[in-house]
Amino acid sequence: MPELAPGSAFPDLDLPDHTERPRLLSEVAGGDPVVLSFSRGWWCPKEQRYMGRLVELQAELEVAYARLVVVSVDPPEVQAAFRAGLGARFLFLSDHERRWLDRLGLLEEADTVHHPYLPVVFCLFPDLTIHSRYDGNWFLGRPTTSELVTDLRAISHGIRDDWAPA
Amino acid sequence: MVDRLCLEGEPARGALAHVCALPDEDATVPFDDPVVQGVRQDAMAWWIPLLGSSLVCLTTLAVDESRCAGAITVVTDDRHLGDDPFLRLFGGTVVKTDLFSYVAPPPGPVLERYRGAPWPGGSF
Repeated sequence: MPELAPGSAFPDLDLPDHTERPRLLSEVAGGDPVVLSFSRGWWCPKEQRYMGRLVELQAELEVAYARLVVVSVDPPEVQAAFRAGLGARFLFLSDHERRWLDRLGLLEEADTVHHPYLPVVFCLFPDLTIHSRYDGNWFLGRPTTSELVTDLRAISHGIRDDWAPA
Repeated sequence: MVDRLCLEGEPARGALAHVCALPDEDATVPFDDPVVQGVRQDAMAWWIPLLGSSLVCLTTLAVDESRCAGAITVVTDDRHLGDDPFLRLFGGTVVKTDLFSYVAPPPGPVLERYRGAPWPGGSF
């Protein structure tokens, strides 16, 4: 597994979504930039707070041609309930079988109860090349909505041929 | 126009299409109308999850790059069709069909259309 650092290709995750439908990350990207947020799970107060931040962002991304995906070890039905409670309109992917957890090297080793993902946020190009990475074990390490918009702007500027008038 | 992906794959036999549209040519709403935007938000928030594995595909109906003539939701089970948020645009009719194919629902949160294609289809 390559280091998950800017410039590297992020693996094309194959996971069920919150409705149990199989998804492929590259298809979810669909030609748009992606915010990919790994989350401990619904039980964590920090995650609850951070998901609120992503929900704030979704209204902008609805009209900004950018995708937003959350990955956790919660089962799909739990994700669906959590998503509904948040008022989220973006995709949750479930690694409840922990198929990608070790391969990605993102196991939260300090949590011996849930064995969840470390909270890490990536901004990806549509081809899944990593533009930026934020390690959020300390909550303040997580990107603000402004930082995410700045990253998505940089990615979009690079991929949209008509970004500025010719 | 419908999302072309809904017609390109292997057809789902014996499916039910919930057509929220009217035959009148004037029965259209601007895609930018807040009601149309709100209906698409509801589709992402709860309509698609509610349908679950019953959903075959979903497409809005585009008359042109600006005007929406309703939507079609294709399912294998008619239990929830009375909850279809697109009923807020136009009345619904259920039609048995072999025409539509399975398409993964949009991942969200994008609600805008790509190059004027009927939401949720298209790409840049």
